[in-house]
Amino acid sequence: MAQYPRWIRFAALITVAGTCGLEAADAPTSTVDFARDIQPILSDFCYHCHGPDPGSRKAGLRLDQRDAALAGGKSGLPAIVPGAPEQSELIARIFSQDPEEVMPSPDSHRTLTDQQKQAVKRWIEEGALWKDHWAFVAPIRPALPAQAATSISPIDAFIEARLAQAAIPLSPEADRRTLLRRVTLDLTGLPPTPDAMNAFLADPRPDAYERVVDALLASPHHGERWARPWLDVARYADSNGYSVDAPRQIWKYRDWVVGALNRDLPYDQFVIEQLAGDLLPDATRDQRVATGFNRNTQINQEGGIDPEQFRVESVNDRVATFGSAFLGLTLSCAQCHDHKFDPISQREYYQLYAFFNQTVDDGHGSSKPGGVLEFPDEARTDTSASPEVETARFELFSYLESRDPAHVAWRPEITPAVLAQLKPEMQHNVTQPWTQLTAGQRRQLYGYFVRDDAEYNRRVEKLTALERSQNRVVTTLVMSELAEPRTTHLFINGDFTRPGEVVFPGTPALLPPLRVAGPRATRLDLARWLFDPAQPLPARVFVNRVWQVYFGRGLVETENDLGLQGSRPTHPELLDWLALEFAESGWSMKALHRRIVTSATYRRSSTARPDLAEKDPLNLLLSHQIRLRLDAEWIRDVGLAASGLLVPRIGGPPVFPPQPESVMGLGQVNRAWITSEGDDRHRRALYTHHWRATPHPAAAVFDAPDSFSACTRRVRSNTPLQALTLLNDRQFFEFAQALGARLQRAATTDDARLRAGFELCVSRDPTPPELDRLRRLLADLRIPDGSGEVAAESEVWTTIGRVLLNLDETLNRS
Amino acid sequence: MSQLDPLPPDAAAHLHALTRRHFLSRCAIGLGSVALATLLDQSARAAGPTQPADPTTPKAPHFPARAKSVIYLFMAGGPSQLDLFDYKPRLNELNGQPVPDSLVAGKRFAFMTTSHGSQLLGSRRAFARHGQSGAWVSDLMPHTARVVDDLTIVKSCAADLFNHAPAKLFMNTGSGQFGRPSMGSWVTYGLGTESRNLPGFVVLQSGPRGPRGGSVNWGTGFLPTTFQGVPFRGQGDPILNLANPAGVSSARQRQTLDALRDLNLQQAVATGDAEIHTRIAAYEMASRMQSSAPELVDLRGESAATRALYGIHDDAPSFARNCLLARRLVERGSRFVQLYHTNWDSHGGPGENLQSDFEARCREVDQAQAALVTDLKQRGLLKDTLVIWGGEFGRTPMGENRDTTGRNHHIDAFTMWFAGGGTPAGRIIGETDELGFNAVKNRAHVHDLHATILHLLGLDHRRLTFRFQGRDFRLTDVHGHLIESLIA
Repeated sequence: MAQYPRWIRFAALITVAGTCGLEAADAPTSTVDFARDIQPILSDFCYHCHGPDPGSRKAGLRLDQRDAALAGGKSGLPAIVPGAPEQSELIARIFSQDPEEVMPSPDSHRTLTDQQKQAVKRWIEEGALWKDHWAFVAPIRPALPAQAATSISPIDAFIEARLAQAAIPLSPEADRRTLLRRVTLDLTGLPPTPDAMNAFLADPRPDAYERVVDALLASPHHGERWARPWLDVARYADSNGYSVDAPRQIWKYRDWVVGALNRDLPYDQFVIEQLAGDLLPDATRDQRVATGFNRNTQINQEGGIDPEQFRVESVNDRVATFGSAFLGLTLSCAQCHDHKFDPISQREYYQLYAFFNQTVDDGHGSSKPGGVLEFPDEARTDTSASPEVETARFELFSYLESRDPAHVAWRPEITPAVLAQLKPEMQHNVTQPWTQLTAGQRRQLYGYFVRDDAEYNRRVEKLTALERSQNRVVTTLVMSELAEPRTTHLFINGDFTRPGEVVFPGTPALLPPLRVAGPRATRLDLARWLFDPAQPLPARVFVNRVWQVYFGRGLVETENDLGLQGSRPTHPELLDWLALEFAESGWSMKALHRRIVTSATYRRSSTARPDLAEKDPLNLLLSHQIRLRLDAEWIRDVGLAASGLLVPRIGGPPVFPPQPESVMGLGQVNRAWITSEGDDRHRRALYTHHWRATPHPAAAVFDAPDSFSACTRRVRSNTPLQALTLLNDRQFFEFAQALGARLQRAATTDDARLRAGFELCVSRDPTPPELDRLRRLLADLRIPDGSGEVAAESEVWTTIGRVLLNLDETLNRS
Repeated sequence: MSQLDPLPPDAAAHLHALTRRHFLSRCAIGLGSVALATLLDQSARAAGPTQPADPTTPKAPHFPARAKSVIYLFMAGGPSQLDLFDYKPRLNELNGQPVPDSLVAGKRFAFMTTSHGSQLLGSRRAFARHGQSGAWVSDLMPHTARVVDDLTIVKSCAADLFNHAPAKLFMNTGSGQFGRPSMGSWVTYGLGTESRNLPGFVVLQSGPRGPRGGSVNWGTGFLPTTFQGVPFRGQGDPILNLANPAGVSSARQRQTLDALRDLNLQQAVATGDAEIHTRIAAYEMASRMQSSAPELVDLRGESAATRALYGIHDDAPSFARNCLLARRLVERGSRFVQLYHTNWDSHGGPGENLQSDFEARCREVDQAQAALVTDLKQRGLLKDTLVIWGGEFGRTPMGENRDTTGRNHHIDAFTMWFAGGGTPAGRIIGETDELGFNAVKNRAHVHDLHATILHLLGLDHRRLTFRFQGRDFRLTDVHGHLIESLIA
């Protein structure tokens, strides 16, 4: 999924180029830092041909390891002679004017700047000191910087020390209203209620804020809010994907995540249960549900496919997700060849693959026993059909689709007398081109006119029988190990039809060794390996992802790549401190959230800092907070909460809030969207049924991920299509109507109602100019419009509701 | 547009100053700040004292433009030039032979591992010369073959990156790294847009899925987000929720929007957040789209002859519909329209073989792309509209898979074509070696193509800059040479 700008790397290069940049602040100008100044150059300009991948290595030379670089390549000349640039072939080559000699070679279209060449030369002069890539070395507890006076936590000490170095002043703390709205949205995805606001404002105790934080962390809505980024990583959806996109039941897994976060299941256990809960001794049903994490892969139910191909695809997806979710590494790069930048071989890729290659699920979705966990004590209440029914329905519909107009022989039979007998809808449909009819309409016409098509009848009977016998039991998809292990081969060039050498489960040599508990290495060993105290990556990866939610950007910008092509952390010591603190305090995620949101850094004002336009335009040094547009889900949830419609029930089968009618016709199979009525119409967005092929447009337009692969960070766009959604979409209009009615009930005067509306949407009082503007709108609405119509009072207040729900401030966290 | 409500005088003055400062400091293009300041003042005066300058207001180019707008037909996945435009009889003769060492020795090449793709694959297509220009086109694109005399075919294109997502990013932004603005963003930033009622930069999609990398391909990077591409839906209604909610008249909608804009402006002043200006502009655009977009996407106004020309036979979403939509967008003043058609990745696996799958892709685009050129020409629009056709890279002369039914990614030589907008008609630029492996004449690197495209639009690629973190960034970074032969 998405990756993000590498500003930080730009900054590092710019520093080398000697113009300006943040890194300059703490870069002693006399010495070159390998990791900061040199390794990015080597990685960008050299590793492609002189890196870890022997397949693309030229002249036998590798420059990603010190010994190899010192030894040189086939030419026998040492590429690097520490202290002696004039004897180093690397220097001769990069400074060469000869197109046959110069490196990088002209056909690579990569050119080193003079400053970069000088930096490499100076580094060799200074002894060519080599350090391992920062992220591959386990964090060590950093010394806290001398604390600045205002610091209240080690987080602030690290941040403020860096800002002091850069001589950037801190922004003040946000006002209490902004702060409560911010932390309530960040911890629960809902705005504070007016009562909660009043209680907070009236609480004079010095730890009033910390008390609020504790209450929010204890709220069941906390689990709903923080389940969302995890479900993005887990590529959770309620359908099988690919073109058929049949529905699946796996919402028990979604509810498991919410519950685990709410009971603060320690992160190590949280991960181990998801990766290998089925292999734990005496695994509970809950622990098996957790393994749905790796059953969120797509399933291809197209006819004529090779199921093995798509089983392999799902195993590849599990490896890729394992890499991005827990290691912050782009493992997929090693699927077809050795990784070009990070020291991960293709063989090691397939060793990881071997762990996930042992389950019973196939590529066609016809799960063998064990891949589906049943809940016989729970009857299904949702309306979606089982995969078998969906498949039968698909078979029928595609048959009908194949009956092109030439096969539809009834048209000559249609006399006015025949036509008159038809239902009005069918009378219309028979006049339409076949290609423009929906599957349901085709079925109706075909069934009526063509009575002797055996193939059609066979398919109809199969579907009807299945529909009648449909098992209405709640199920969920789980990982379930084969009795006999499957042999894993390396696939030549990643092609599953070309098996190469046999490999066994194992972990990359780059990382700490695997401890194997039983006779052979299993997923459980792999899961536990992530939490080996010597592991450099998993804790950093997780705290960085949490950090990015609170500040819009991780301490490492490239949150899914901590490898050599990733960006360097802006605050390496802080990252390590957070990672170690997280691990050593028992992997409590709630404690991690608390640590961050109670810091002064988190609590600062988000007002823009024009004084930093040149010095720190992206706020990398975190002198202030930033305004962040709410994620798609919270935009719906804020509307529900402000309007009073929210049904705050936690968990259960997916629901179907209103969406535009044309949406479901887009998939290959025309699926029903039976809009929920009653409570289920007004549940949080987390519970909206997510079809991969036809996602809810109000989610997609606000950048909700597609669930095809792990998404570790969302983009935030700002488009006219979002405006159209919030202004005109049926569900948002319903929110406005409900909010208007709520304001009418809440007070009797215009001003009091307007104030109540502001409080519900943006958690503050309107300023006098804002109040004036809304009063003026009221006045405008109460005079007849161009057509002479006078709006009813309910319509007037609906309009006020629309304005309030569309405010930029309502859609943002300040 | 309706009358704007006056803000309190001091707020208006403050806001204008702030907006002006914002655009002067963040949006000064190569025109020079003084010229831009004049421009802003003019637009501000024209619209009344409280109107904040709209950054998408049309701006003068650096020098007289040959093209006013761009329609970029992006063939996502990388179509095989060797089966379409780059005819190589020698490759056919050597079909099944190992690739000569001389070609690949010392070559930086993605998939030249020991195991893979070392046998040459001849094209099974029948090629013929067409038009006055005598351009070779295979039997897969008969319609395109008929318009070759309106095209400039560049056979010597070259790129740097060989995986889809980074390569698409490279083709669109000039960099394989995230965070750079796309070409459409640079162009709308540099020139604004003539269209007040539709987005200046529109993205249309067809094919089974979106292009890899998604929205970063039309993102703005460090440019203000106002300039991002607006993706219309690839299927079904191109734009949802265009109608007001039931019972809301357009007068009431306008009152709602006016109040919303004023309140958002007050918030922009209070927080200094530039994104609020983008949101305000987005709401105004949304409102104008409500009246203009239904007309835009309603193709019933097009004659039967036009629909037949493009090959539009029903209302199903298709590349053909998008081509016609693109013409309508350009007619209505949009600056940059980019069409993505996916699944050109002909490796040879299921759904991506070089036989039926590739043929199907060609059928999906051939008639419509030729129709687009013809239609623009008939309407006198072609001279001002630059049409660009191509993928993020091409395909290898070597076959892929044991049954040699596919080709791999190839960045050293591939074909793109251009039409209109100041490009010569009926010219062929560049040559590849006898196997189509390397460009041996007039190599046209992506940076050079970018420089030339900007030039045709009246923009000097060295002067279209944006200062970010103390450095002036450009679409071409520190590269790019004009391809003189691509300019008529």
